[in-house]
Order: sequence, then C-alpha cells, then structure tokens
Amino acid sequence: MKLNKKVKRVGLISGILLIGLIGLGKVLDIPVLSTGVNYVLYPFEKGINLVINGTSNVFERFQNVNDLLAENKALKEEVSQLRYEKTILSQYQDENENLRTLLDMKKRYADYEGVGANVIGRDYGNWNKVYTIDKGLRNNVKDNSVILANGGLVGHVEEATDIASKAISIIDSRSAVSAEVSRTGDVGILKGDIELANDGLCLLEINGESEIMKGDQIITSYLSDIYPPGILIGTVEQVLVNNNDLVSYAYVKPIVDFDHLQQVLVINTESE
Amino acid sequence: MRVAIIGLLLVIVHTLEATLFQYLRIGNIAPNFMIMIIVSFALLRGSKEGVIVGTVAGFLNDISFGIHLGPTIISYALIGYVCGKLNKNFYRENFIIPFFCTLLSSLFYSVTNIISLVLRGQLNFGYFIKSIVIPELIYTITLSLIIYQVAYLINEKIEQSEKNTRNIF
Repeated sequence: MKLNKKVKRVGLISGILLIGLIGLGKVLDIPVLSTGVNYVLYPFEKGINLVINGTSNVFERFQNVNDLLAENKALKEEVSQLRYEKTILSQYQDENENLRTLLDMKKRYADYEGVGANVIGRDYGNWNKVYTIDKGLRNNVKDNSVILANGGLVGHVEEATDIASKAISIIDSRSAVSAEVSRTGDVGILKGDIELANDGLCLLEINGESEIMKGDQIITSYLSDIYPPGILIGTVEQVLVNNNDLVSYAYVKPIVDFDHLQQVLVINTESE
Repeated sequence: MRVAIIGLLLVIVHTLEATLFQYLRIGNIAPNFMIMIIVSFALLRGSKEGVIVGTVAGFLNDISFGIHLGPTIISYALIGYVCGKLNKNFYRENFIIPFFCTLLSSLFYSVTNIISLVLRGQLNFGYFIKSIVIPELIYTITLSLIIYQVAYLINEKIEQSEKNTRNIF
C-alpha cells in the first residue's frame, strides 16, 4: 500500500493533535475526545433513537395484537357471562318482589285460604280478556274464587277444573264488579269495556250525586256475592263530564298490569 | 290417521296460540290461526270435514276461554260448512280463493263477536272496526297465504299415505 506525502503529513499532524488533545484532557481531567464525539454523535443518536422508539412502538403494537385479541375475546366472554348472570339475578329480584307482595297480601287476607298460581294461557282472540291459571280443584280453587295480584283485584275463577282453572278478569267486557269509592263510600258498578281494556282501564258507573274525583281509591264493596269487601281495585284516572245528574262515569286504572300478568294469588272465599 | 293428524294439529295450534303466539301480537292484535286452518281444510276436503274441523276448533276455544259453550262452535262450523261448499268449484293450486275465503270468514267471525257485544250494550262501532276488526283482518289474511301452503302440503301427505294403504287391501 502506498501512502503519498500529503496523507502522511495529514496523518502526522492529526496524530499529534490527538495526542495533544488527549494530553490536555488528561491534565484538565476532561474526556475531550469522547465529549467531542458525543457532541457530533448526539443529534444522530437522538434522532435515531426517536425514530427507533417510534417505530418499535409500532412494531410492538403489531406484535401484541394477537395477545390483545385473545385477551379481548376472553374479556368479552366474561362480560357476556356476567351480563347473563345479571339478567338472571334481576329476574330473580323481580320474582322475589312479586312473591313478597303475594305473601303480604296473603297476610292481609289471612282469614281466607290462599294459594299462589301462575298464568299459563291467555285468550288468543282480540275481544276477551280471559286467562288460564295452573291451580284447580286439587289446590282448593273453586268456582268464584277471587284472584289477586300485586295487591290489586284481577278477577274471579269462572270455571275450576281438576288441575287448571279459567279466570275472567275485571277488564273483560262480560265482567261487572260492585265497587265502592273508599273516600266517600258511594257504591257503583265497575264494568269492563273493550275500548278501555286495551289501554288497561275500566269503566265505573256511579250515582250522579257522588263527588268522585281524580285519584280516588276504588275498592270492592260490601254488596258482592263473589268478592269480599275491601280489596283494592285501582284509582280513578278521569271523571267524565255528564249532562244529567243521574249517573256519572269515571275511568278507573287498575293496579294490576293485565298485559304482563304472571303470578297471581287465588283466595277461596267459601272456605268458612 | 287423518283424524289423528288434524286433531293433533288443532290442539298444538290452540296451545301455541294461548302461550307462545302472544308474542306475535302487533299493537295488541293477534291473528286468528284457527280460521286459517278451518278455511284451508274446508276448501281442500269439502264441507263435511270443514264442519268437523270447525266444530273441534270452536270447542277448544269455548272450553278454554268461553263463558258459554257454543257461540264459537257455531260460527266456526258455519265457516267450515260454507267454505267447504266451494271445494268442487276450484283447483287446489289456486291460492286466490283461500285468501278471499279467509277474508270473508274473519269478517264473519268479527261480526258475530260484535253482535254479542251489541247485545251487551257496547255500541262503539267505530272503535271496533278501526282498531280490532281491520287490523285482525289484515294480519290474518297475510298469514293465511303461508298457512294454506302448509295445510296443502299436510293434506297431500295424508292423501298419499291413504292411497298407499288403500292399495294394500
């Protein structure tokens, strides 16, 4: 290898400078060379590190996607499991509340024998509101037994067979209940009406002189053969303006939700 | 064979309607599957079978949800009889006649119901027609197009098996 004079000279001078610098550094206790190198390299290192950090995050992200997907799947399964359990628990809660109100009612009408029952069938026509319940003569449910739910009157048993019974509700157009306004003591007739039944209401026909007003509580009267007195039916929703003073009409909203009727309490009034 | 299959069909449809098909209600209006089945079998097999199917269907309805035994039996049996009279006058593959028969039958059944309501003193005809009769009619005739096909298939199968057993003897 041939080295020309110029290279030799540059090499010599730079070598002497380096040695001088290092010597100076040794004397002043400063790492001159590495400082200079650092000053030169720092921007590049910094830049490259920035780029590496940025990209390595990206690469890491791509590498982790599979793990994340697996974890996500597991979590989703857990969420659906928990949600399922939550719905079951809320169902239990509803059932619990229903049964508790039934128990309360059973206490309130303790003088009569009561039995809880489920609604297992509904009339599939659009004209009548008749239900089938799953208790019959075997459970001491007889004709004209009274049916309650949620603290309100549902209706009475029209025909009891051995294991199931046919129940006719108070909003059926064929049913009529002797009712009483608990505030004033006026007695009237509560009738089912098809047009109102689809809104969950029924019609109260009462003496025109009675001062019935919105919000009054309606209970069963002491006049009925079937229904024992004092069972809560509902509240007055609206009083109709009538021109004559003979009869006045009011819409009554029953406490029971007839569209979502599930658990009922049957009390046998003829047990004494 | 035929009696068992159609009887079973009626009982199953009755049970389903009382329980599961409550969720088919649109705006609190349910279609009347019994009328579709009665009309289908009456048109396929004649007035004699129409009356029998109608009587059984009406009996099921009255015994489960009626207060008196009879009104639904009579109207369903009449529907079966009148539709069965048309049996000889049309081809079974024609799907227009069942459609119109279901329409008129559903209307007839609604009118009998309205009459019984009027006798009880409920006279709001406008509400009955607008909110119950017409929605039920539309729902029923729409579904009758499907139910007639099903009844047609069932009837084909039964007749096929009857033909086979007749050949053996």
